[in-house]
Amino acid sequence: MRNFTKTGLATTVAIVLSGAASAQDYGSFEDYTLRVKLIGGAQYEPLYTLIPEWEAATGAKVEILSRKSHFELDREMKQDIAAGNIDYCVFSNHTNFAPQYDVMTQPLDGLIDADTIAAFSPLVISHATVSGDLFSLPRHSDVSNMFYVKSLYEDEANKAAFEKEYGYALTPPETWAQASDQAKFFTDAPDRYGTHFAGKDEGITGRFYEMLVAEGGVLFDDNWKPTFNSEEGVRALNWFVDLYQAKAVPAGTTNYVWDDLGLGFAAGAVAYDLDWAGWAAYFNGSDSKIGGDVGVALAPKGSSGKRTGWSGSHTFSITKACDNKDAAASLVTFLTSQNAQMIEARAGLLPTRTQVWTDVIAEFKADGNAFMVEVFDIWGQSMADHAFTPPLIAEWGEVSNALWPQLQAAILGDVTAQEALDKAAKEVSEVMEDAGYN
Amino acid sequence: MPTRTKTVLIWLLTFTVMLIICMPGLWIILSAFRTNGEILTKPAIWIPQNLTLDNFRAIFGFGENVIGVPVSSYFRNSLVISVTSTFLALLIGMTGGYAFARYQFPGKSSTFLWLMLSRTVPGIALSLPIFIIWSRLGIIDTKFGVILVYTAINVPFTVWLTEGFFRQVPNDLNEAAQIDGCTRWQAFWKIEFPLAKSGIASAGIFAFLTSWNEYALASQLTRSTDSKTLPVGLMDFTAQFTIDWAGMCAMAVIIIIPALILTFLVQKHLIAGLTFGGVKG
Amino acid sequence: MSKFSRAIRDHAVPLALIAPSILVILVVVLLPLMFSFYTSFTNYRLIRPDTLWDWIGLRNYQRLLADWDFWVAFGRTILFLTVALNLELLFGLGLALLVNKITWGQRTLRTIMMFPMMFSPILVGFQFKYVFNDTIGLVNNALQSLGLTEFAIPFLVDRWLAFFSISFAEIWMSTSIFAILILAGLFAMPKDPIEAARVDGCSNWQVFRHITLPFLMPFIFIAMTIRSLDVARAYDVVDVMTGGGPAQRTELLWTLIARTAYDDARMGRANAMAYASILLSIFFTWYFFRKLMDARKHLGAF
Repeated sequence: MRNFTKTGLATTVAIVLSGAASAQDYGSFEDYTLRVKLIGGAQYEPLYTLIPEWEAATGAKVEILSRKSHFELDREMKQDIAAGNIDYCVFSNHTNFAPQYDVMTQPLDGLIDADTIAAFSPLVISHATVSGDLFSLPRHSDVSNMFYVKSLYEDEANKAAFEKEYGYALTPPETWAQASDQAKFFTDAPDRYGTHFAGKDEGITGRFYEMLVAEGGVLFDDNWKPTFNSEEGVRALNWFVDLYQAKAVPAGTTNYVWDDLGLGFAAGAVAYDLDWAGWAAYFNGSDSKIGGDVGVALAPKGSSGKRTGWSGSHTFSITKACDNKDAAASLVTFLTSQNAQMIEARAGLLPTRTQVWTDVIAEFKADGNAFMVEVFDIWGQSMADHAFTPPLIAEWGEVSNALWPQLQAAILGDVTAQEALDKAAKEVSEVMEDAGYN
Repeated sequence: MPTRTKTVLIWLLTFTVMLIICMPGLWIILSAFRTNGEILTKPAIWIPQNLTLDNFRAIFGFGENVIGVPVSSYFRNSLVISVTSTFLALLIGMTGGYAFARYQFPGKSSTFLWLMLSRTVPGIALSLPIFIIWSRLGIIDTKFGVILVYTAINVPFTVWLTEGFFRQVPNDLNEAAQIDGCTRWQAFWKIEFPLAKSGIASAGIFAFLTSWNEYALASQLTRSTDSKTLPVGLMDFTAQFTIDWAGMCAMAVIIIIPALILTFLVQKHLIAGLTFGGVKG
Repeated sequence: MSKFSRAIRDHAVPLALIAPSILVILVVVLLPLMFSFYTSFTNYRLIRPDTLWDWIGLRNYQRLLADWDFWVAFGRTILFLTVALNLELLFGLGLALLVNKITWGQRTLRTIMMFPMMFSPILVGFQFKYVFNDTIGLVNNALQSLGLTEFAIPFLVDRWLAFFSISFAEIWMSTSIFAILILAGLFAMPKDPIEAARVDGCSNWQVFRHITLPFLMPFIFIAMTIRSLDVARAYDVVDVMTGGGPAQRTELLWTLIARTAYDDARMGRANAMAYASILLSIFFTWYFFRKLMDARKHLGAF
C-alpha cells in the first residue's frame, strides 16, 4: 500500500497546487490557529500536503495534534469524550463510527452551504447523516468488489474442468454460491487457495453483515432487537464456515486483517479477493506478482438477489467545543473540494463528489489507463446502487465486538452457525438494553 | 558414562538451550537489515542476499524512504522518562526501605505487605482511571504524567530490595559512627549507603527496565511526540493497512540496545542485589 | 492527647521516611482504584460521560457471575499462569544447574541467559507473532524448507497451538528470572553438606532432592514473588500476538478487560472484571510472599 500511493504523488500534487484554491473563497482567519486531529497512514497523508495552501489563502495556521491510525484515533476520541478534554476543532471521522462521537460533534447544516453539499453524491451524504443531522463531510468512500486473477479464469483447461464438475460455465462469480464453488475449484493448497477473508475484528463482522443483507436478512428489527440469528443469518455465516471447513481459504484467515489480504492477493496466493478500491493500482502494478493479470467485477449477489456492499466513508467533522466554527468549516470544505478529491481519486480512492467521478475517469481514459477506468466504472456502480452502511448507531462497535468472536467460533468449527449467532444475539441484546434501546 | 562424553553432552545441551534463547532475538536483528520484500518472499530466503541500512535510515529520516515515525523523539522521551522515574523511585523507595529496616512502628508489617501488593495491580486495570484523573489534572500526554506513574509502580519493589540490604548492614556500624561524632545523616551516607550499594543498583536496573519497557500504561497516557515512548512508538508501524515488518524490526533493535548495554554493565550487581536483598534480609 | 497522635509523635521519623512512598502509591494506585471501584457499580460508558452517575448497583457483578466467557477467560488465565510459572521454574532450574556445571565462559553464558529479561513484553509479543506467523514465520519457513511439512501450520489459530504459542512466548520471556535467582542460590550454597552426603554414599539424585533443593527453595520463592508481582505483563505479549483470538481461544482476563474497556467503551463492566484480575494477582503474590517469609525464617539456620 505504502509503495503504490507514493508513486506519482509528487507530480500530481504539483499539478493541483498550481491551479487550485483560487476558485473558491475560503475566508480570512488571520492569525487564528486551528487545532485538528487527523487520521494518518500512507493512503491518507497525500491530502494533507494541501493544508499549507489553505493556510496561505486564509492566513490561519493548522496545528495537527494527532495523526494516527483509525483504531488509535478512535480510542483517543473516546478518551477525550470521557475526560471532557476537547480542545480542538476538526477531526477525521468515519460514517460508521460517527454516531459514537455524537456528544462532541457539531451538526454541519448551516455551517456548510447547501450548494457545496449538493455537489456530493446523495447516497454518501445520507450515510453521513445521523438522525437528521449531517455529522461530517465525506472525503472518500469505500466499498468492496471482486478482484480476480484473469489468467485463471481464461485458461481453457480450467474452463472445461470447471464446467464438467459444476455444470455451468466458469466466469467471474455472479452469485456468492458460484463464488463458493470457484473458491473450492481453484484451491491448490498450499500454493494457492480459492480466496481469503478478513477473519477478525470489524472485518469479519462487516463481511458477515453484508452477506446477511445479500441473503435478505437484517441485523435488527424495528425495535432494535437483534434478528441476525435468523435463517438468513445462518445461511450467511455458513458461506464462511463452509469455505473454511473445505480448506478453500488459508487456515490463518481468521487472523487476517486488510493488509494480509491485500499482500496475499498481490502475491498470487488466492484466485479471487473481495477487496477495497484502494488496492486496485497496487494489484495491477509492477510490485504485484499478478500485475497486468487482474480482472474486476461487481461484488456477487446473495440468494435474495441483492449484492453485497458494506460501505463507509472517511470524513471530517467539527467539534461542538470549537471556538471558530467558520474556520473549521472552511478547512473541511477545502479538504473535500473538487481539487482535493482529485488527488485522492488519482490514487484510487473513491470520490464523494459526483463531478470528481466524471473527471477522474476522463483523466484515466486520456492516460490510456484502461484498468483504472474499469475499476472506477465498477466501483462507481457499486457506490451508486449497492452500497449500504451498518446501522448508524453509537453501539455499532460494541455490536461488532459481540459478534466477531462468535463468528470466528463457528468458522473454526467450535460451534454451529446457529449456536454462534444465538449467543451473539443474546450479547447484542444486552448491549442494546444497556444503551437504553428497549 | 565417561566424563568426556558427559562434558560434550553438557556442552551440546547448553548450546541448544542458548540457541533457543537467542534465536528469536537474532532473527529480529537480522530482519532489521533486510528489506520487506526479502522477508515476505515465499519460499523463504535463508541467507540474506543484500543487507541494507535502509530501515534505519528511514527511521531516522534520511534517504528517500522517509517514514513518519519520529524515533529520535521517542528515544529521547523514553530516556528522560526512564532515568527520571528510576531516580525518583530510588530516592523515595530507599527512604522507605531504610525506615522499614531501621525503625519499629505500629502497623509496620501490614503496611509493608500492602505496599508490595499495590505493585500487583495490572496496568490495564489502572490505565483508564489514571487517564481520566490525569486529564482532569491536565497532565495527560506530558512526560511528567508518565514519570509520576512509573515512579509509583517502581517504589514497592525498590522498598523491598533496599530494605533487605539495609537490614544486613549491622546496626553497630551505624551506632559506632554516631559515637565517633557523626550525625545520623552522615553515618547513613558514609557507612550504610555504600554497603547497600549493590542492592540499590539492582533496584535501579529493575526500575529502569520496567520503565523502559512498559507499554500498557504508556499507550494510554501518551499521545504525541511530546511524550510517546519507544514501546508505544513501535505500534506506529502497524497502520490500518500495513505492517512494516522490517521497520518494526529495526525499531526493536533500537529499543533493545540500551537495555542490553545497561544490563551487561551491571549484571554482577543484579544477581547479588536480587538474592541478598530478597532472601537474607 | 489521643493514643493515635501519640503514636504519630513517637514514630515521627520512620513515618516521615515512609510518607513519600505511601503518598505516591496513594495518588497513582489507590485513588484511581477507588474511582474505578465506584464506576464498577455504574453503567459507565466512555462515550456517554453522563452515565458516570448512572448507578446500577451490583448489576455488572451479577452479569459477570453469569457470563460464561468471563469464567472461561478466568479459568484460562489461571491455567496459563500455572503452566507458565511451573515450566518457567522447571526450565529455570535446569538452566541454572546446567550453567553452574560449566566453568569456562560462564560469564558470557550468564549474560546470554539474561537476554530475554531486557525485552519489552510488547517486543516479545511482536517477536513471537513474527516467529509463529503462518506465512512469513520463522518456524513455518524452517519446517517447510526442511521438507517436514508442506502446509503452513496455523500456530496462532489452532486451539492448542495458539495456547502453546502464547505460553512459549511468556516462558521465553520469564525463565531468565528464575534461572538467575536459582543460579545465585547455587553460588551461595555451602559445599560441606554435599560432600558429607556423598561420603555417606548418597546418589546424585538424593543429594539434589534432600540438600540442594531445600536450600534453593527461598530463592525459588523470591523468583515466584517477583514474577507474580507483574504477571499481567503477559497482557502486552498476548495482546500483540493474538489479541485473545481467534474465537477467544487465547482470551485471558486482561485482553478481555482491555477490549471491554476501550473497544466497547463499557468501563463499568470492564472495571468489575478488573477487580477480579486484581484479586487474582494479589492472591498469587500473597501466597508466594508468605512462602518466602517462612523460607526466610528457615534459612536463618544456615
